[in-house]
Amino acid sequence: MFGALGLVAALGLFGGIFARRARLLVRLVRMGKPSGIERADELPARLRQEAVVVLGQRKLLQKLVPGLMHAFIFWGFLVLFPTIVIAMIGIVDRESTLPWLGHQGWFALLVDVFVVLVFAGVGIALYIRKVVRPNRFEGSHLGEADLILGWITGIVTTLLLWHAARIALGLNEYDADWAPVSNALSGLFGDGDVSEALERVLIWAHVLLILGFLAYLPRSKHLHIFTAAVNVYFARTRARGRLEPLRFDEDLPEEEMRFGIGTVEDLTWKQMVDSMSCTECGRCQEVCPAWATGKTLSPKLVIMGVRDHLFAEGPLALAARESGEAYEGPLVASTDSLEEMAWDCVTCGACVRECPVNIEHVDHILDLRRHLVMVESRFPTEAEPMLRDVERQSNPWGKPQSERAAWTEGLDVRVLEPGDRAPEVLYWVGCAASFDERARVTAQSTAKLFAAAGVDFAILGPREACNGDPARRMGNEYVFQAYAEQNVETLEQAGVRKIVASCPHCFNTLANEYPDFGGSYEVVHHTELLAELVRDGRLSPAATEQTVTYHDSCYLARHNDVLAQPRELAAAVGRPIEMQRSGKRTFCCGAGGAHMWMEENAKPINEERVREAAATGAETLAVACPFCTVMLDDGVQSTGAGMRVADVATLLAEAVEAGADGDRSDAGADGKAGA
Amino acid sequence: MAGVLVLVEHAGGEPDELSLQALTFARGYASGEPVEAVLIGDGAAGAAPALGEHGVATAHVAELDGGFAPQASARAVAELAGRLSAAAIVAAGSDRGNEILAHAAVMTGGTLAANCIAATPGDPAQVTRMRWGGSLLEEARLHGSVKLLTVAPHAVAIEPAPCAEPDVQPFAPELRDEDLVVRVTERVDTSTGGLSLAESPVVVSGGRGVGSSEGFGALEELAGLLGGVVGCSRAVTSAGWRPHTDQVGQTGTKISPELYIPCGISGATQHMAGCKGAKKILAINADPEAPILASADYAVVGDLSEIIPAITAELRRVRAG
Repeated sequence: MFGALGLVAALGLFGGIFARRARLLVRLVRMGKPSGIERADELPARLRQEAVVVLGQRKLLQKLVPGLMHAFIFWGFLVLFPTIVIAMIGIVDRESTLPWLGHQGWFALLVDVFVVLVFAGVGIALYIRKVVRPNRFEGSHLGEADLILGWITGIVTTLLLWHAARIALGLNEYDADWAPVSNALSGLFGDGDVSEALERVLIWAHVLLILGFLAYLPRSKHLHIFTAAVNVYFARTRARGRLEPLRFDEDLPEEEMRFGIGTVEDLTWKQMVDSMSCTECGRCQEVCPAWATGKTLSPKLVIMGVRDHLFAEGPLALAARESGEAYEGPLVASTDSLEEMAWDCVTCGACVRECPVNIEHVDHILDLRRHLVMVESRFPTEAEPMLRDVERQSNPWGKPQSERAAWTEGLDVRVLEPGDRAPEVLYWVGCAASFDERARVTAQSTAKLFAAAGVDFAILGPREACNGDPARRMGNEYVFQAYAEQNVETLEQAGVRKIVASCPHCFNTLANEYPDFGGSYEVVHHTELLAELVRDGRLSPAATEQTVTYHDSCYLARHNDVLAQPRELAAAVGRPIEMQRSGKRTFCCGAGGAHMWMEENAKPINEERVREAAATGAETLAVACPFCTVMLDDGVQSTGAGMRVADVATLLAEAVEAGADGDRSDAGADGKAGA
Repeated sequence: MAGVLVLVEHAGGEPDELSLQALTFARGYASGEPVEAVLIGDGAAGAAPALGEHGVATAHVAELDGGFAPQASARAVAELAGRLSAAAIVAAGSDRGNEILAHAAVMTGGTLAANCIAATPGDPAQVTRMRWGGSLLEEARLHGSVKLLTVAPHAVAIEPAPCAEPDVQPFAPELRDEDLVVRVTERVDTSTGGLSLAESPVVVSGGRGVGSSEGFGALEELAGLLGGVVGCSRAVTSAGWRPHTDQVGQTGTKISPELYIPCGISGATQHMAGCKGAKKILAINADPEAPILASADYAVVGDLSEIIPAITAELRRVRAG
């Protein structure tokens, strides 16, 4: 009787504390603005995401040892979950247990095994935190982590000893041989009154620790236990390079209109759940190119900053709404160094890819920029000419639009005039390859290859305008949307269905973002089309002995899964060597997120990457993006790395030319032999 | 009169150069109809007689008290245009000219075309005007009972048309309270002395090819002799050889000197975006393939450490002689 009353009281007390906090969290999320993209579609894909990322712990296991540490504890608690109910039944009546399951020997074995694994997990965690001390924890709440590890240890220790005591008292409902660890420990207990009392103490300690943990969790960074699965479910399932569009249409109700993140009231519900899901593991920080080169930005600190701001200001905003007043709080960007951090980001997405709970850091950073640019007009001044030139001249360098097709001089490239027959493939050249001296070489090589392979292609010439990516990544959504609409109109009028883009940024925008503005096309990157032409035998490159290391562009590899085709091309022209960070774990060149047009603080990202490339010993650094070309070429010059930087299209054009020469000389030799 | 009223800005008792360009433009537009001038503010009467040189027979003068107030000036122009039944109002495409005529357009119910370089009267009038910072010329038709035009600076050469000293007619416009809400109340001098990179007529810039921060000594010397200042490329600021304030380029200072001398600068797009306003470019570079040579008016291919001292020595020799 005492047990039952005590249990009810404990459940009421701790459950109440939990519910109070949970209610606040739910109210905050409900206050959140709608997300700009659909997040509840594609049920199968979302369930798969849940199975792989949450149950399968796949992203955690990207780092094997810390991953196993977490998987042991996580799977352990899943398996041990029924023991909570068993323990509560045991408090009410020590002779009872869960029907069926409580009597199963295999379950007792499973519990023993996972208790040991949880201990192992805690041990690994302590080793990582106290001995290895990786720099990804810098800025995290370390004391809180220690407390939680201690708490977990307490929970499984009391569970194990309680089982041991029951075996000693002969209260086990299963054959004790099934539970070797508990059985071995049962020797610590006798079968007298002391043991009987200890059994009660242990079960109470166990249940109170669990209930206390439950009450503590939603106030701690360990809140992710409840939020992570939700966050993973609603995360992007594909097109990770697509930004959430802002809606400016006049028929939108005012309360749904937002210009990025101003105050706490402008956070979307997804951003709130993101911030509540962060457990400060710092994996994002570890892969962040800005952090790695000594800048202020850490994606982890951005999310923690948003969370701290949400918990400080959110309740005030809720209270204001309740009393019908307008909430006038500080800007989220004013928290800690959030504003400065927002400008350090290269939008490479390494953080998003690495995050074990699918937090989408880039959305937060971009929304902070959007507010600063569109509402506060506060941004790095050196980017102003770019924004002005994009807006006025349709390209970020302010070059005359009439010179857009100047790179085709001496080449046979069809420029689509209004009313012309649509080509099979439209070649979207992009501003860099149209105007930049180094990047033009790529466009020229690509055009030569298309012509050699007999591809029916054409360019828009002066009718092609900036796709808007630099303005959008800088936070100027107005300018971006104006270009999106203009370009979609041009493409529609030209009857374009398939596009090949030379710039991964154009590619990402055209493929993933223009559908939001009514333009849906089949979009490929030039490396994809060129690889296809090589595979089909329409281009015959002659590989050389040169060693080539391919640098993955973030917008190609990480955001759009284009990994294989550029590598096929690298293998077709020389001997490929991989860098340490490659494929989807590539390291940015430093130009993304409009950083091509901003000054860099601290160490240069491009030099960091060039050093990594040079360490492979490769003679050629192959790239597939005009911005990577410029950044890495600059890096090679400033570090004196002595490598050649060239787009795979340029390397392929050379190899095809060499192949043709080879054929000619072969043909010549044959001719002689015949004569 | 059905003629043209021209707003003439003035300073120190002299009509402003841009306003004289506007007068030349207005006489062409009036094609024989009378052209009258309006001068506003302190010293207006003093500047009026000089307009006789530019074909103005009548100059209206409104000596408004206090600092410049755009809406008050516009009120004077609009009131006068109404009284004279002017068919068109013309002003210089200066900051003030554009601002005053924008207000005046609202007050007269007329239509304004700013930054015109040519116009043909009629209904509608045909105008050619500069858009997008001069990168685009727009042909437009201007409707409305009163047509207001501002003239793009330096698009029209001043052509004097001497006649008798103009009849100066003072008048006092009926101002409203709101006309004086925005006005100049104080002037603060911001001149800091010294030549800024953005304004200097000669800029000598160094790139990675200069080799070190010490290497800039020779560039400083050359710039000093030419009365210019030293700039640099992004690579140089990244290497820490010069401060960011010296950087010429997309993310640095945009310059428009008479003469630009980039030394050891390859000419990356980001750099060229900062110096496209230069009138003449003399590039010095060791690499005959450097893209900057394609943009340069003059180019010397060779070793900086030999060429720059040679130029400096020659300059000194010529000046001494």
